Amino acid sequence: MTTLDTDRRLADARPVITELIDEATVESIAGEAWISLVGEDEVLVPLPGELPADVVSSWVDMVGPWTGSVVLTTGRQTAEDLSRALLRESAPEVLEEEDVVDAFGEIANVVGGSVKAVLPGHSALSLPSVGTPPEVRNPVDVCRIDVLWRGAPIAISVQGALPALGTPGTTV
Amino acid sequence: MKILIADDSRVMRQIVIRTLRQAGFDGHDIVEAEDGRDAYDKVKSESPDLVLSDWNMPNMTGIECLEALRNSGSTVPFGFVTSEGSAEMRDKAASAGALFLIAKPFNEETFADQLSGVIA
Repeated sequence: MTTLDTDRRLADARPVITELIDEATVESIAGEAWISLVGEDEVLVPLPGELPADVVSSWVDMVGPWTGSVVLTTGRQTAEDLSRALLRESAPEVLEEEDVVDAFGEIANVVGGSVKAVLPGHSALSLPSVGTPPEVRNPVDVCRIDVLWRGAPIAISVQGALPALGTPGTTV
Repeated sequence: MKILIADDSRVMRQIVIRTLRQAGFDGHDIVEAEDGRDAYDKVKSESPDLVLSDWNMPNMTGIECLEALRNSGSTVPFGFVTSEGSAEMRDKAASAGALFLIAKPFNEETFADQLSGVIA
């Protein structure tokens, strides 16, 4: 057997995320994170909304039997509002970018940690990142929910990192 | 009591401090550390009575900090407050000498349950 054959067999054996978690579970995980971090009365309404042009994402990566990322995407203003809600009385008058990176990243960390806990086997979780998220590599390997928080849209996507996307000049 | 809170997220440190207060643990002296290395150094310099630490942090993780502390002879009571709540992580934490592991997301009831026998 060639290395390529072995790689293909391993890839075939890997489950896609929809075999491991469903939208209702992601919604429940996110809802609990919101109540704990954002506030007891802060609910996520499971309705899609149109994301604005200026969006920001926070995410954590997971490596294990399933490998991918848990990505939260929302408008920049909503990310700032979330950061203020987390900081409450310690929120500064003018939010620094650092505060948004910290707060919005921490929400991804908590949601990602809970997603990891329901997936089978051992996985490693990365520190959170904020910015432009990893691309969706395989549309089948995605479990996404769209919710509204205080009327503003937020997308939460649990998305696989495999198989690797082709890069210009190579074939997959 | 002096309580050391270690988390690389300033926001999460604020939330932990707030939740301690909401759980009824008021009036304690709080020291903050921004990663495991900082926590290790502050256990040595500040002599806290309890450490509440995140798991995943840059420079030195929470579990590395706990192991380093125990290897150095420190017996400071140490618990995790972390998004790593799996059974495997709980076992690992207990084996290294942690008193408890509070998984994020948490609330004041979780804090009250876990800390009532620990914080005087």
